Amino acid sequence: MRRGSKLRSTGVTLSLLLPGLACFFGLFFYPMMVTVVRSLRPEGSDTGWTLVNYISFLSTAKARDVIVLTFTLSLSATLLSILFSVALALILRKKLGGHRFFRLTMIIPRVVPGLIGALGLLLFFGSRGWFNLLVMGVFPFVEKPIQINYTVPGLILFYTWLYFPFTALTTLSALESLDPGIEEAADVAGANKWHVLRYVILPLIMPGILAGSVLTFMAAFGAFSIPLIAGGNYRPLSVEIYKQIDLTPARWSAASARAMIMAMLQVIFLTIYMRILRRRSR
Amino acid sequence: MNDYMIELRDVTKRFGSIVANNRINLGIRRGELMTLLGPSGCGKTTSLRCITGHNIPDEGKVFIDGIDVTDIPTHKRELGMVFQNFALFPHMTVFENVEFPLMIRGINKREREELVEEALQLIRMKEYESHHPRQLSGGQQQRVGLARALVYRPKVLLLDEPLSNLDAKLREEMRFEIRDLIDRMGITAVYVTHDQAEALALSDRVAVMNRGKIEQIGTPTEIYDSPQSRFIADFIGLSDFLEGTVSSIRSDRGTAIVKVEGLEIQVVAGPNMEVGKRALLFIRPNNVELFNKTHKGGTNTFPGEVEKITYLGDRNDYRIKLGSNIRLRVQSDSKVRFRVGEEVKICILPDQCRVIV
Repeated sequence: MRRGSKLRSTGVTLSLLLPGLACFFGLFFYPMMVTVVRSLRPEGSDTGWTLVNYISFLSTAKARDVIVLTFTLSLSATLLSILFSVALALILRKKLGGHRFFRLTMIIPRVVPGLIGALGLLLFFGSRGWFNLLVMGVFPFVEKPIQINYTVPGLILFYTWLYFPFTALTTLSALESLDPGIEEAADVAGANKWHVLRYVILPLIMPGILAGSVLTFMAAFGAFSIPLIAGGNYRPLSVEIYKQIDLTPARWSAASARAMIMAMLQVIFLTIYMRILRRRSR
Repeated sequence: MNDYMIELRDVTKRFGSIVANNRINLGIRRGELMTLLGPSGCGKTTSLRCITGHNIPDEGKVFIDGIDVTDIPTHKRELGMVFQNFALFPHMTVFENVEFPLMIRGINKREREELVEEALQLIRMKEYESHHPRQLSGGQQQRVGLARALVYRPKVLLLDEPLSNLDAKLREEMRFEIRDLIDRMGITAVYVTHDQAEALALSDRVAVMNRGKIEQIGTPTEIYDSPQSRFIADFIGLSDFLEGTVSSIRSDRGTAIVKVEGLEIQVVAGPNMEVGKRALLFIRPNNVELFNKTHKGGTNTFPGEVEKITYLGDRNDYRIKLGSNIRLRVQSDSKVRFRVGEEVKICILPDQCRVIV
């Protein structure tokens, strides 16, 4: 009898799970399987299996350049975001005049559509943009406009602008939940501002920084609209995938293979990150 | 020049329109444990934070060891501090917490280890050195806090309500432990609390604060036996207040008679007493004796009636009605028991009956 009721309750559980499983398969698993299968088909054919799409991409020098570029862009943007967020959070938590305004403006990059943001940045940093007019006006020794658009440093700057809010928000909330007594304790014990930051504040807000920065990294890794219109000749993986479909006829298998490579790189990175995080929290 | 380890001179600190410290003058002698005692909001924490440098006085100066530290930042003041909420570094082990002040000072690893071991032994926490603060009980955390504050032998130990977050029994134990530790180290200490029992039990001297001012500084006995204001008599221990007029003074015996609602009460003569002037008597419930009505009279013995009894375990708390309009609290041990409505005689001990002018 007991065995029967146990079986029945398992059945109830499974049927309750059904809608969730249906969504998972329909919305995530099926499209992904389509991409996986597509990447293993010869170009333009619906039959047969092949690894040629992977091999033909990975065996070129260009593939290495694209992957290195993607990592360079997203890692640099993440590091810059962390630096900027920590500094910003340290200032904002003092609750000086206007801090509420800055708290709001901080998330603007996340609410403006990426494409609009990228266009704005292109105009702002262009050779006749406000940035160069200001720099050339203030520093007489700058004679030519500084080239920022369509360069790697320029892309990093744009990425940072667009994706730092993830890191900034988690860093700020981690910082503001710190017990001020702990900093005072360090202070009385003889620690100057730098010591307090280095040995007390940073270690304590590190989980917050890491949580936000992984979001910044993943977003930057998959960034599309900014490198598409502001990247010039520098094409990270996402643009590289898009360019395959942009051809006539579209190269769906090549695009799918590149998408799979990108997904795998992201999974590998996340795994390493999670391992670091777990080791930190002991 | 002087033997004050800490001195506040005319320290005033305002927060907006609130004057948290109003011309505080306080000298704390070397090796002394001084308690700042007062209700919450009296300014005791502000005074402590003026000593640490977390508050900068608007007016006045702070001296530590004869040096004007008013403009010296906290981390250069060589202080040790224990916090109400312990404020241990949650990401460090017990060992690392205690080591922190030494590490900041750039003391070499060998010496550091020795000093930390010594400090941990002192508070009997050696076996917990690799634990994190969250794995410890409140009492253990506060002991680690003490070790962290004392490990680099600061000039002064500051304690900000260190026992308020502990339960009653532990609080009492820790009281002795802290006093013991301070005696052994011979360190000057400033102890902030709102708990008068703690202040009386621990301190060499107590400064009672109220509304941003120091009302009285004295030894625990002075504060308890001869409070200089109604606030202090009320705040420390239990007391009843009776208002009357001085009817005669016998300066040869050091006594005076105060007339309260027709009762003539003999009291200890105070310095500012004058015949005909009003006087405020304060009487502690344990300075009144209770007898049955057949007891023959004597000085300050008056008939009364039991109005209310509260049983407190080791003693009874009586509310006694004297005459028409006077009510006194009396505490006596619980072996003898009177009933509500019973007529009794009470004796207000004349040498314990004092006047706040």
